[in-house]
Amino acid sequence: MAEQAFAGEHIVGPSSAPDDVLRVEHIAKRFGPITALRDVNLHLRKGEVLGLLGDNGAGKSTLIKIICGFHKQDAGTMWLKGEPYEPKSVLDARGHGIDTVYQDLALIDELSVYHNLFLRREQLLEPTPFLADRKMRRQSRKALDEIGINIPRLDVPVARLSGGQRQAIAVARTVSSEADILLLDEPLAAMGAKEGAMILDLIARLKAEGNVSIIMILHNYVHVFAACDRVSLIADGVIALDKPTNETSVDELNEIVVEEYRRARLAAQGANGAGAGGGGDRTTADGGARPDAAG
Amino acid sequence: MAVASGSEAATAPTPDGPAPRRAPGGGATGLLRRFLTLREGSIIVVTLITLIYFALSTTNFFTISNFKTLLPYFAPYAILAAGEVFVMILGEIDLSIGAMYLFSPFLWHLIHHAGVPIYPSIILTLAIVCAIGAFNGVMVAIVGISSFVATLGMLFVLDGLTLVTSHSTPITTPGTTTIGVNTFAQIFGAGTYSELFWALAIVAILQVGLSLTRWGIFTVASGGNRLGAAEAGIRVNAVIIRNFIVCAGLAGFVGILEAVRVTTATPDPSGSNDILFQAISAAVIGGTLLKGGSGTVVGALIGAIFLGILHDGLIIKGVSANYLDLYLGIAILIAMAMNVYVARVRRGSGRG
Repeated sequence: MAEQAFAGEHIVGPSSAPDDVLRVEHIAKRFGPITALRDVNLHLRKGEVLGLLGDNGAGKSTLIKIICGFHKQDAGTMWLKGEPYEPKSVLDARGHGIDTVYQDLALIDELSVYHNLFLRREQLLEPTPFLADRKMRRQSRKALDEIGINIPRLDVPVARLSGGQRQAIAVARTVSSEADILLLDEPLAAMGAKEGAMILDLIARLKAEGNVSIIMILHNYVHVFAACDRVSLIADGVIALDKPTNETSVDELNEIVVEEYRRARLAAQGANGAGAGGGGDRTTADGGARPDAAG
Repeated sequence: MAVASGSEAATAPTPDGPAPRRAPGGGATGLLRRFLTLREGSIIVVTLITLIYFALSTTNFFTISNFKTLLPYFAPYAILAAGEVFVMILGEIDLSIGAMYLFSPFLWHLIHHAGVPIYPSIILTLAIVCAIGAFNGVMVAIVGISSFVATLGMLFVLDGLTLVTSHSTPITTPGTTTIGVNTFAQIFGAGTYSELFWALAIVAILQVGLSLTRWGIFTVASGGNRLGAAEAGIRVNAVIIRNFIVCAGLAGFVGILEAVRVTTATPDPSGSNDILFQAISAAVIGGTLLKGGSGTVVGALIGAIFLGILHDGLIIKGVSANYLDLYLGIAILIAMAMNVYVARVRRGSGRG
């Protein structure tokens, strides 16, 4: 059942180019009995915005968490700017210039806006071990102004902020880092139209500057076609489609996702006769695992 | 921009540049609001009310000699609670601090009688105590046992070790055998203000560590959102282990201070449980949440002072010993209710 290969499974090869900043080859990852990723090949060119698509549970977040050093892949290799890339931790990945906006945002409700913006990157009053709160607050204000996000007070706990504001803070934290590869896991999910537009503007601006390359998980196809140069679609644990945005369409993307669902259902019917749905080896779950990179 | 349908959203105008708004309110109301916004605000109010009550209703409450009587009622608990706060902010609890308090003088006695001089023996004792704290932390962070269960187990282990090594007989504290109080004993607990100074110094250092250093940020982050903290790159397990070490180390240290103060140590596990509950009460009354994510060391100190004043004041008022626990319990419940009420007012007013 696992060998139900279909056209387009290894699309990556021919379209890859020497200016790839990141290459992901034959990545596989299981969580216990659940196969999240089977054999994923992905590449990211310098300065491009890559949309990573796929149905719920297709393994998008898992792939992001492998690239950012939070999870370790079971098999496969990664290449960063031509060098082998094996992140030992989130910090290690960050040291390599890769920073992430997580789906759950990784904000600490109890901490202030500016402490969240500088989480794990706190500035100190050298040579003392004390936090340079005033400096961090000033820089936070500057960073948020540059993005155009209006958060009146930076010393309030982020628990008091709206979903969109929280998401903006998570995006601002990553964008204002030194990173040149940004991984954004649903950066627009909790945002209203205005805030979402602001983030899309920001991404367009970053693209125009040309210093960063971005992988972005999105669900809304409108956003995909607005912001992304290219799309990669994960289905059944592999990349099922990899095309420039202007060569594909909503229909084509939808078709692949629905097709995967049909095959899974057929497989389940074939396996146990009862068409109860929920195919046996259908790949699921892209989160929910314990943070095994936390140690 | 590749496709037409999305460009409308992408080109929506950004709003005007934001100007930082100042917090409203000034003068007396602003000051009052700022005070109540302090996490410790409510317990300070409650403690002052208690203080005034006893000062007005008894004649010899506000005296130097009573202040000296009061000290041992709160200084040890303040130190124990300060350590416990760092574990509670993580959303964990250390139930073994009372047993550690009990065990450490016996461990120290054992090491000293094996021929180790007095100061190195204290250092060695504290090192072992910290190692036990690290063990607690490993059980919680890496093995994955709930801290309630892991430290409950450690509580019995330490009680048991105390009984076994002491053969259930009291000991004379090392360094206090000579007649009169020597310099060593003066510093480590026997001096009138020794424990007060230790308590204030430890509380000050830990509060600074919590509010002004990365350690504090990492502690709050690990307690508030463990997965998020790990995603941000914080080594959560290391933070947990470190804080259990601090908690255990302070408990062992207080055990030594108290043993020096009273010059003997008695292997009495039930007494050590009273110590545990007093320390946790002080931390909770002071404004540290059991669910984690926030806490205050200064609050724990004030919580300990509140319990001390209550205990001492009730004795001065001549309350029968039989009623003492009853009144203490009721007072704690009332104080906590007021605490929650003031906190609710605070949350309402603080919204900006």
